[in-house]
This record gives sequence, structure tokens and C-alpha cells, in this order.
Amino acid sequence: MSDLDDFKATYFDECSELMNELEEQFAAIEGGERDADRLNAVFRAIHSIKGGAGAFGFSGLVGFAHAYETLLDYVRDGRVEMTDDVVNLCIRANDIVADHINAAQSGEELDADYGQEEKQRFDAIARGQRGGDEDEWSGEIIEEFDIEFTPVRVELAVADDEVAEPIEAPVAAVEPDTFDAPPMPVEPGHWEVRFTPYRQLYSRANDPLLLFRELAVLGEINVRAILTDIPPLSDFEPFGVYCSWEISLFAPDLTEAAIREVFEFVDGDCSIEVVPLGHVVPPAAAPVPAPVAVVQVEKADENLMALTEDEVASAPVRLVAEAPAAPAAAEPVAEEPALSFADLANEISASAPPRPVPVAAPKPAAAPKPAASGEGGEEGGNRSSGVQSIRVDLDKVDRVVNMVSELVITQSMLTQQMDENLRARYTELVRGLEVLAQTTRGLQDSVMAIRAQPVKSVFSRMPRLVRELATKTGKKIKLETIGENTEIDKTVIEQLSDPLTHMIRNSADHGIEDPEKRKARGKSEIGTIRLSAEQAGGNILIIVEDDGNGINRERVLQLARDKGLVAPDITPTDEQIDQLIFAPGFSTADAVSDISGRGVGMDVVLSNIKKIGGSVHVRSWTGKGSRMTLRLPLTLAVLDVMLVKVGESPYVVPLSSIVETMQCSGAIFERVPSGGQVLQVRGEYVQVIDVAQRFGMHSTKAPDDRFVVLCESEGSQKVALVVDDIIGQQQVVIKSLEENFEQVEGIAGGTILGDGNVALIVDVQGLRVHQIHQNAA
Amino acid sequence: MTLRVLTVDDSRTILAMLHHTLSNAGFEVLQAEDGKQGLDVLMSHDIDVVITDINMPVMDGIEFIKNVRASGQYQSLPILILTTETSQDKRDQGKAAGGTGWIVKPFDPDKLISVIHRVVH
Repeated sequence: MSDLDDFKATYFDECSELMNELEEQFAAIEGGERDADRLNAVFRAIHSIKGGAGAFGFSGLVGFAHAYETLLDYVRDGRVEMTDDVVNLCIRANDIVADHINAAQSGEELDADYGQEEKQRFDAIARGQRGGDEDEWSGEIIEEFDIEFTPVRVELAVADDEVAEPIEAPVAAVEPDTFDAPPMPVEPGHWEVRFTPYRQLYSRANDPLLLFRELAVLGEINVRAILTDIPPLSDFEPFGVYCSWEISLFAPDLTEAAIREVFEFVDGDCSIEVVPLGHVVPPAAAPVPAPVAVVQVEKADENLMALTEDEVASAPVRLVAEAPAAPAAAEPVAEEPALSFADLANEISASAPPRPVPVAAPKPAAAPKPAASGEGGEEGGNRSSGVQSIRVDLDKVDRVVNMVSELVITQSMLTQQMDENLRARYTELVRGLEVLAQTTRGLQDSVMAIRAQPVKSVFSRMPRLVRELATKTGKKIKLETIGENTEIDKTVIEQLSDPLTHMIRNSADHGIEDPEKRKARGKSEIGTIRLSAEQAGGNILIIVEDDGNGINRERVLQLARDKGLVAPDITPTDEQIDQLIFAPGFSTADAVSDISGRGVGMDVVLSNIKKIGGSVHVRSWTGKGSRMTLRLPLTLAVLDVMLVKVGESPYVVPLSSIVETMQCSGAIFERVPSGGQVLQVRGEYVQVIDVAQRFGMHSTKAPDDRFVVLCESEGSQKVALVVDDIIGQQQVVIKSLEENFEQVEGIAGGTILGDGNVALIVDVQGLRVHQIHQNAA
Repeated sequence: MTLRVLTVDDSRTILAMLHHTLSNAGFEVLQAEDGKQGLDVLMSHDIDVVITDINMPVMDGIEFIKNVRASGQYQSLPILILTTETSQDKRDQGKAAGGTGWIVKPFDPDKLISVIHRVVH
């Protein structure tokens, strides 16, 4: 059923939000912030997850979440102290909940005893504080989630002081055995119900009429109102409860449980006696036969709704009307009680000595109390009530983004069409186009801001990963996150999870050393992985740093030579060696480890990041650590580029990577022994890449007429691209090539120019890496 | 006459399921994500019956029910408590605050409707 699928989708969405919230809350809780707001938020999150899981029958999840929730409930009300041990157990429990959710989502089966150990620890902790007590806690929880309503035991004796006072003449609870009337032959299916509501029954908006209506569904009923307790009008209290009822009920296979179930909601708010006929209920409060009004309600159809409103609704009304000398309030709950009570009060005050009437002055609606979790909860949650927000289908936003992208192209095309001639003739048009360009840019920024999300949503998954890695490797690792509120386009964020996971695995597996080794090196036993995000110009930088071993260059180079990635006679620089870890098929692990191995190397990271127009760079300090920097475009959609010409074809270079441009005639090139060329720029040597040569095209120009585009790739390593011509700057919309072709080394994608021509987007970093290989080959 | 139900729950899943079940059964459904929002809706709409969760941020269900009952005009408004607990205490708290009845999650659609008819005219 598709509805169900929709609900499930909503549920899993919600779960991932809740899991993120849990991560966040526990990050703070771990840091010592164990205030009530956080604990409540945690409890609610688990509670919501459990609630939804119950609806879809994810029984494993329900069972675990229930045990966990109970522990949290105890923590929340102070019965269990939130020690570090409990915090750690909870963090582990979050992971198990997440696994259950994932399993539920993917339809996998988890082991039946998965999380059993933790569940038992919940049990132990809870039992510890309860002193091994009453309700059986462990195990059998699932049954509680039966769809059926559990019949509720109705207690005749009202002892609780919470329960408001019974009416003036309380009905003595009488044991059936004590009835002194001679036993009559038992007629199966005949029952007598004596029903005496207390005042609070009405204050909770329950209504005897509705109860009768429901009884009428069970069988044939006969209702008698006991009106003996109705006081003279002068003593009549508007909220007083003066009426009780006796109901005879008949249906062939009627059980006591079925009758009691009707009164389920009013348990404690009334006195109920249910006796099979054959016993006689002695009139408790009324020794003299009361003035009795009788109403007959025919056995209704099984279907409750078949009973017409009139049939039922008329019953008590008639009842009231027929009651002799009784004030018209035998049935105090009417359609508009507040109103009728008020009327009644007026009547009373007219005919009785003045007395305070506690009605008719409805308090102004109580001002909603300030939320207990107000300020505290707000900063942490994405559910803060302060920010007004609407939910919009992502598809709709994407459509707008796409249209705006097309608009940007059209606008840039229009601008291109304006040659000098036209500009001089149509100044108004030029001004209009300038305004259009500005507005388009503004529109684009605003639309992209809609799709932007804090990287938090990805970062928050990492603490768990690090914990798992620490456990598996036996290392001690601490994760720090910085700048998690930095916003990136949602589409970029979605692509970020895998590369980040891989990079962190790499750091934990290859970077961070064993505690002993760290100690020996004079480092803290606990290794640190720092994950940070910041905006730098038109880019977002995501940096994964660790204070571990750094890249083992000797081994990397050896492996690269073994695999033929680096020729034996070439001596790459340290920086070049570090980059080799991104080369396809490269893996430094001697044996493919369970953690970062998995048969793929860091080249997957690189290709994923390239796919979204980003680049990766690594720096390493032997024995001190390494840093990997992901540079990502703010948005996937539109890119500021410089349009250049190589041979007869247009190419575009992302503007964000260009440092400067110059003419070849003024540049100083030098040959290097490896066969390549370098460019000397203000005393610095920069690797030269001839784009025409690289892409197998023929340059149409004399060497001196060509241009150098000096680009900065990662880690301030510069590279000089030699192109035939520089045309100008513009904005383009990135189109992926991989949908139609495969990934092409040195090309980040394609785009359609304003004049309709297709241009390829140069991948500066890719060209560089390729050049290293080529030199090596 | 179409009955108007206010559903109050911080879980979108539950709200969506309630909405689906109730609107299919011909009710008009209004939604709120916490007690405070629920009160706001009550201020501006005529509601025939309320279904509320207990554990919610900002203002929980118990506080919400207390506030509703304290506001004179809603003393006879049926309020059903959504609860996963079969342990009585949540339910008792809800009732003590003025709840009319309860619905145990996960709810069976037919049962849900019949419980509503149990407390509304």
C-alpha cells in the first residue's frame, strides 16, 4: 500500500532527524551538560522513534527502544544517575537504535539477540534502583504494543486522594456475596449496572449519555435514573452531581469484561457495579424507591453509527422531562454546558439566597506557560519554535534551481550578444541588461540559500563512526568538529557522506597510532581527529586532520613504484608522493583491513569529490599528523569561469582557481630534467601544462601569442596552463559528463555557453595529478 | 456536520497517520506539533475533539490539557491522550489533568474512529 510507504518514508526521515538530534545532545551530555532539557529531548527522541516503530511493527526496534526509554525515564526523573558509564551505555544504545532503524529501512534482519547485552544492562541499572521490584521488566514488552486495548481493571473502592470527593451520599461498595435477597435463577446474559458518576467525570468531558449509547451497542438496555439525591433548588450547585443510574442490560453472550470496557475511560471517576442478574443489587443510597424515569433503548445494530443521533440523544432528555419535581439538571452535561450552567446559575441566584456561584466567570484562557525547555532546547534542535519555516518538497526547489540556472545562461547569452555597436546605440537596453544581471545573480543566491543546509547533518554521523573505529582498532580517538553550521548546498552534502567516512576511516586506521606508540612518542594517548568546515571565497573547505603518524612516504613511494605508478628513475617531491594516495588502485594497507580497506582506496574519495566539482588535497607531517582538505563549490549549479580557447575549441576554467593570467611572450619557461617544463613566476617555479598538447589538439597560434593561466590548486601548489586565447569571464551551468560518457581525466564536466556551443570544464587538480603520472610513465 | 479534530504530536509520522485515518473517515483535521501550538489552534478554531501526545517539546501533553481545562470554555471538550505506555502512570497523569480518554499507539484505524465516537456526540 502506497500510503503505508509514504508514512514509512516520513518515519525514516524523522528518524534520521531524531538520530542527529541524539548525536548532538549526547555530544553535549558527554561534555558534562546533563541538564533536564537535554535529558528530556533525548527521552522524547527515543520515545518518538519507538512510537513510529510500533506503528509499522518493527518489533525489534520497539523492544529495544522501550527498554532504553525506560532507563531514560528513570534518568530523567532522577531515579538513575547519569554517570559516565550510563552516558556511554546510552551512546552505544543510540548506535543500536540506528542499526535497528537502518535494518528496518533496508528490510534486513538483525540477529534476534542484537542489543540484548545492552538491554540487560538497562535492566540491571533500573533494577538496581528499584530494588528488584514489582512489574516484570525484562523481555516481554512487545505484547504491550498489541493493537487491542488492554481491558482495564475497574476498581470499586475509590481510595486515591487524587480522586475528587464522591457525591454526598457515597454508594457503599457492596460485595455481591453479601446480598441478602434470595438468589434468583440465573439468567445468562442479563446484567445490572449501577453507575454513579463523580464530579470529575464531567470535568474530564466524559458524558453518561455517550456511555449509555455505547452500552446500547452491546445489547438491549433499560436505563433508570436515580433522582433521590437531587436537592431543593435553593441548595442546587451548578457543578454538583446529583444523579446516578441503574441500567439493565441484556445480550445473549454478554460478558462482564465487555460491559466494564465501556466504562474504561471513566474508571476512577465514577462508581460502577456490574452484577449478573440473579443477584439483586440492594439500593445503596435510596431506601425508598426513587422517583424513577425509565427509558427504553432498543438493541442497536452492531454498528455504533447505525444508532441515530435522535434515538440516543432523546433518551436522557426525556428522562429529565419525566422526572417529577426534579430540577432540570439530572443530566448535567448538555451540548453547551458552560452556557446552560450559567443560565442555571442565574436562575438559582434569582430564587435562592445569594451565594457565591463558582461558575459563569470563565477564566481568561491561561497564558501558555513558557516552555520549560525553551531557550535551552532551541539552540540544539531543529525544531525550535522561534524560526518560522515551511516544509517544501525538494523537487519543487530543484525545479526552481534549474530554472534559475537556465535564466542565468540566458542572461549571460544576452549580455554576450551586445557588441560595441549595439551598446552605443541602445544605452537603455544596456542598463536594463545590467539590472537583469544583478537581479538574476540575487535570485540565484537566494534560491541556493534555500537549498543550503548546515554540514552538521553529515558531521553528526561521524562521532559514531569514530567510536566504532576506536573500538575495532583498540585505539583511543577523540573527534572534534568545528564549523558545523557552515551551510552547503543540499546536493553537495548528500555527496559528502561517503568521502568523509572514507577519509575518517583512513585517519583512524592509518593515521592515529596505538596508545603505546603515541605514549612512546610523547603524544597524548588519545589521538585527535579534527573535522572542520569553513567558507573560503566561493568554496567550502572541509578539512580532516589528525595528529597521528602522517603519511609513510617511503612505503607509499615503494608501493607506487611496484604498481608502476611512478617510474623508477623519477624522484617525486614529498608533496607529489602524498598525492599518490589518491591514484586509482592505490592502497597502502598491507592487507586489506576491515576498516579502511574494503578493496577501494582514496581514489574513490577523489572521484566522488570531483563529481561534485570539488578537489582534494593532502598534506602530511611525518610523525605529527596529516591534513586532507576538500574544496567544494558552494553550489553545484552555477560556476564562475574564465572562457579560454584551446585549438578551435572553447574550454572553461573555474574562476575560483585562477590566480593570474599573462602572455607567453613575457613568461620565462625552463626545461627540467624529467622532461617537463616549469614557469618562473617571481622566483617561484611552477609546473607547466600545455592544455592543447594534453588533450591532443593542435595549437593554432605561435608560441609567443599564447597565454598562461596561472592556477592555484590545493595547498597553494600552483600550476600554469598554457592556452591559445583568453575570451572572458562568465557564469555557466555545470553539466555532468559521466551520465553520457565516462569520467575523463582532467575534465570536470561540460557546459553550454551563451552562444549554444558546448565547452568542457578543465579540472586543474586532475590535470596536475595526471601530469605527475605521465612524467612518471 | 463534519467533526473537527485537532491532533497534537511532535512526530510527523504520527501526525501524518492520524491525518490519513481521520480525513478518510470524514473528519476535518487540524495539526499542531506541541502543546503551545495546540493552544494557539484552539484559540482560533472551533474544535470538536482533541487528540494529543504526552511527550512533546515546548509544552507537553499534560500541561496542554491542564491549560485547556483551565480556560473555562473548553471544559467539555473531549481530549484523547495518545499513549504508547500501557503502564498506567502516563495515562493517569493525563486523566488527572483532564483527559477524557486515551488511544494506545500504534492505533488500529477502526479502533481510533470508534474511540472518537465514544467521546463525541
